[in-house]
Amino acid sequence: MIIPHPLPAADNPAEALAAVVALRLLADQLERNAVAHAIAQGWSWTQVAEALGVSKQAAHKRLAGTLPPIDLPDQER
Amino acid sequence: MLRRLTQRISDMRTIKVLCTDAEKHANAAGQTEPGLEHFVLAALALPDGSARRAFERIGADPAQFTAAIARQYADALNSIGIAASPLDTQGDTAAIAPGKGPYQAKPAVQSLMQQLASRPGSHAAEPLLGAHVIAVAAAARFGVAPRALKAMGIDLQALINATQDELRTATAR
Repeated sequence: MIIPHPLPAADNPAEALAAVVALRLLADQLERNAVAHAIAQGWSWTQVAEALGVSKQAAHKRLAGTLPPIDLPDQER
Repeated sequence: MLRRLTQRISDMRTIKVLCTDAEKHANAAGQTEPGLEHFVLAALALPDGSARRAFERIGADPAQFTAAIARQYADALNSIGIAASPLDTQGDTAAIAPGKGPYQAKPAVQSLMQQLASRPGSHAAEPLLGAHVIAVAAAARFGVAPRALKAMGIDLQALINATQDELRTATAR
């Protein structure tokens, strides 16, 4: 991901806010995929929560039911 | 009186179908709560066909709306210098399981439901149709739904007019 120029000017808040919505969706997807891989590799929810900077309860409540299935190659297990 | 009661029950069934389908579309796109854009997709799939016909009246292909949602996300990311959209809005990696517990949706959906309940004709036993949902989405000033419609090259006022024409035709039947 390359962000080569400054963030949108304040004179176009509609476009800037649309970018915020897209970034949130992107961050959610990145988070779910990363956590799914971590859990598949044997991470505990405590470790995941520590890496995300949130409590274990918060991480589990928000993410546990939303993780995509991960099919790891044998060497990653 | 009986006709109005029957119509209310039928409208409640339509709302249930809309909510269920919208949630499926949201989950398929990796979102826990449906937004207005997911209700547009649900409305386009309603058997009354009025939502699809409203699009077709202005020469727009309703099948392109899903791609338009992804395109407006890409456009939004482009505006802050992220050249290619890495967002997966429909792929296998995006999909999540349906939420448990009470139905939850984005705030725009609450406004949608209020507008559907207070729509003209709701007291005259006129049925709730997909075109009503499209009219609300096209009248929204901000958000993913109107941005996706614009990404399809749709003139929002023309779409609102098309929904009104479609609703008049449906009422006359």
